[in-house]
Amino acid sequence: MFLPVSHHIRNNTFWLSSERCIYWEQGEALIVSDLHIGKTGHFRKAGIAVPQAVLKHDLQRLFNHIQHYRPKELIIVGDLFHSRENLEMDLFIRWRNDLPGVQFTLVKGNHDILPESWYGNAGISTVSGIHTTGGLAFTHDPVDSVTTSSHYTFTGHLHPGVRISGMGRQTLSFPCYYFGEQYAVLPAFSQFTGLAHIEARPNDKLFAIVNQSVIAM
Amino acid sequence: MKLQQTKGYQVINDWLNAKGYRPFTFQEQTWQHIANGESGLVNAPTGFGKTFSVFLGALIQFINEHPGNYTTKGKNGMQLLWISPLRALAKDIGRAMQEVIAELGMSWQVGIRNGDTDMAERQRQKRNMPEVLIITPESLHLLLAQKGYPEVLEKLRIIAVDEWHELLGSKRGVQVELALTRIIHVQRRMLQPGQQPLRLWGISATIGNLDQAREVLLAPMQQKGIIVKADLDKKIHIESVLPDEIEKYPWAGHLGIKLAHKIVPIIEQSNTTLIFINTRGMSEMWYQTLLNIAPQLAGAIALHHGSIEQELRIWVEEALHTQKLKAVVCTASLDLGVDFRPVDTVIQVGSPKGVARFLQRAGRSGHQPGEISTIYFLPTHSLELVEAAALKQAIKEKLIESRDPMLLCFDVLTQFLCTLAVSEGFSPDEVYKEVKATYCFADMQEEEWREVLQHITTGGTALQQYDEYRKVEAYDGRYYIRNRRIAMRHRMHIGTIVSDAMLKVKFASGGFIGVIEEYFISRLSPGDTFTLAGRNLELIAIKDMTVLVKKSNATKSIVPSWNGGRMPLSANLGLMLRQTFNHALTKKAKEPELAALKPLFELQEQLSHIPKSNELLVEHIETKDGYHLFVYPFEGRLVHEAMGTLLAYRISRLTPITFSIAMNDYGFELLSDQPIPVDDTNVYEIFTPDNLLNDIHKSVNAVEMAKRKFRDISVIAGLVFQGYPGEHKKARHLQSSASLLFKVFAEYDPKNILIRQAFQEVLDQQMEEVRLRNALQRIQEGKIVITVPERLTPFCFPIKVDSLRENLSSEKLEDRVRRMQQQLEK
Repeated sequence: MFLPVSHHIRNNTFWLSSERCIYWEQGEALIVSDLHIGKTGHFRKAGIAVPQAVLKHDLQRLFNHIQHYRPKELIIVGDLFHSRENLEMDLFIRWRNDLPGVQFTLVKGNHDILPESWYGNAGISTVSGIHTTGGLAFTHDPVDSVTTSSHYTFTGHLHPGVRISGMGRQTLSFPCYYFGEQYAVLPAFSQFTGLAHIEARPNDKLFAIVNQSVIAM
Repeated sequence: MKLQQTKGYQVINDWLNAKGYRPFTFQEQTWQHIANGESGLVNAPTGFGKTFSVFLGALIQFINEHPGNYTTKGKNGMQLLWISPLRALAKDIGRAMQEVIAELGMSWQVGIRNGDTDMAERQRQKRNMPEVLIITPESLHLLLAQKGYPEVLEKLRIIAVDEWHELLGSKRGVQVELALTRIIHVQRRMLQPGQQPLRLWGISATIGNLDQAREVLLAPMQQKGIIVKADLDKKIHIESVLPDEIEKYPWAGHLGIKLAHKIVPIIEQSNTTLIFINTRGMSEMWYQTLLNIAPQLAGAIALHHGSIEQELRIWVEEALHTQKLKAVVCTASLDLGVDFRPVDTVIQVGSPKGVARFLQRAGRSGHQPGEISTIYFLPTHSLELVEAAALKQAIKEKLIESRDPMLLCFDVLTQFLCTLAVSEGFSPDEVYKEVKATYCFADMQEEEWREVLQHITTGGTALQQYDEYRKVEAYDGRYYIRNRRIAMRHRMHIGTIVSDAMLKVKFASGGFIGVIEEYFISRLSPGDTFTLAGRNLELIAIKDMTVLVKKSNATKSIVPSWNGGRMPLSANLGLMLRQTFNHALTKKAKEPELAALKPLFELQEQLSHIPKSNELLVEHIETKDGYHLFVYPFEGRLVHEAMGTLLAYRISRLTPITFSIAMNDYGFELLSDQPIPVDDTNVYEIFTPDNLLNDIHKSVNAVEMAKRKFRDISVIAGLVFQGYPGEHKKARHLQSSASLLFKVFAEYDPKNILIRQAFQEVLDQQMEEVRLRNALQRIQEGKIVITVPERLTPFCFPIKVDSLRENLSSEKLEDRVRRMQQQLEK
């Protein structure tokens, strides 16, 4: 189960899931970032025995959300794939073919290095740089958002995490959503990703993902 | 065979006599055993010809085999394999051996193989293997990773393992065990009729478990073997550097700088002094301080630690030999190795953590037989003076620590199997028997062996659709790594010493200074000043894994804190400490240290209590930080961490509560924002050894600790790639951290053999389960004294002020985060 928390930006409603993706109500779209599909395969091919179940579980989680929200579009703000082609991509294509009603839009990230034709064959439309729709913008790296777009921008790339400290010198860290004045940063969707701690400025909003809960900071 | 009648003995004895020497008894004994075809362990301190016990034994044997032409007979293939953990020592040992060979007019060659050996030299050795090869454990494995290694070993007669006490108890020791079992078995299969069988000799300093040390070493030989003891008694003089006014000496701290002026006269009166500091960061500060307070020593004192550029370190070592230096501030980097004859004084700053280490350091002064070793102990906080008194007693009672061998290190086994797979390949049945013959893997289950094989051949599970796992592949029943890139990466990562990623530090104008941990430098910004190799440096930029700096004149600089070198207090020293407190306030406290500490003891007694050796002191103190519970078992940092965790867990079953745990070598602290419900009614239950394992497993810290253990395991087993110091050649898209891998494995493959090993290592080493259980048992049988002091006591101060901290909670994570937020808003 996932218990989403709502967040409003410029008259749009966003549902933040504890499973690291956002449903955009007005756009009827699911927004995700940094899936890094093929990462386990890439490692295994190089002789590093990472359990492949991570990928399968990642795809199942995404499938559950698509079934739940029935979005028209899946917007991926970069790093859908981890590296060059491998057999795990074949699994992905089979999985993707089970969702013919959903438009896949990939705003390319630094890891998306597959040949252009490949995305076409997989039923994924791609955008380089910035994708705008419904008054919002989408791009991979937050660095590109602030300078070039007047739209509110959804980004990824950082794998943001938040560190919380309390009395008795306790500290904990969690993946998080970041909402600044100009742009948002999504947590990395894949479980096979690390965290980069980010610092919030006074008017920023942070939502930590703690087990099955999304907690506003 | 009577040794004295052999040609070999006569040749060697004549040579010694000509030089005016006579062999020590233990050397002759060793030669006799070698001549008899025996294996064993030589127990001798450095500086007493331990090298010659085995080395001359090998020469005697060769001369006996070739009495007519021993001088002219060259190109004999490898006769003696000399395994030494110390790269720096190889050259000196090699030089000494070469001299003997030359003086005897023999045609043997001595070769050195370690990380510093260049390609050309390796090629030369491959074409024409020298008779003696001095090698590190890592390079030995690299040798096994080369095609054709069995031929190299064909003529081998003797394997010597130097400094075996250093290797035992570490994963490098396991690495040696595995290489030995392979070499012994491969060599045995090639043995020609009539050829002398292989002998295996270890050389070890005195440790508490010499018999076990021999058993571990000789396990793959399937022989009991012999222990030859040098029995050379050495006198040690211990003196504490006492503060003039104990009341004014800090209660906490780990630097001891306040007493620096007291050692200047010691340095000046001595020939050469070694000043041992426990961490690299502190050694930097000590060096600076000494230069400031004794400018007359400039040029005559030097700094030596593991992060200093090698050339500089070698220069310091040479200068020590040639008596060019008055003093060297050093870390464990100078614990081992050849003797520096000019050294006549040693100063230990802070706790040496163990009796063996203290003795070893004391032994760095006054080497010649009959000379007295002098060591000064300088406390970094007042309570540490008790340790000096305890050390004296421990040495008197010859209470020296054991080195426990490591068991079932599947990470090292994984690496070893891949090593065999990149060269000649291996037959699983054959290697299984060889691995089972080692002490480390004697208790390995067949199922565990299968899991390790599965891990490297199929990546854990049976090969599934969409999976392209590839590493070790089977051809005709033998296992090989055929992929060149995977083989190359494996060769680059052979070894079991895992360190943080290190970056080179260079002047922007050119010139290499040293190396530094990535995690330290990553927290600095350009413009910040830090200290390395005794110099204040300003960070300019980090480029291509190199830190560019320039000289700084800033008076304030950050001293790097290095992670390594934090040893826990040994059980022996802990016991001596507890006993020392017995007579702290009695008239029997004759030791100058205890007399000096009297005012402090009186205050402790007045505020709280001084525990006797059969008592455990528990203090409840309330401060503005919250509610503290201090406990003093004197069992070392690791046991305290485990005991603190255990206690916190047990208390949290009484009421939902969150703790942070802090500890040092004397005791630990539980700190909470609510009162801690421990009193005379429940305190024995809380300290019970019953249900120990169960409760440990339920305490959340086990996962955190396992995650830390997994850091080394994942690197050794080849899951994480770390380049050589400063030379990061990261494979594209293959970067991941050990903590990320741990998270993924723990969630998706929790039964994985390497994850299980991480948890086992936590129990064995991190928690020191056996020691923890014994401590709890002792506490149960003794008396627990609970006090409620009005303010912080001398005992608790060092724990509160500087110690490592962990968290433990019984609250739901979500609740905890919400509460932490509320606290922040207050």
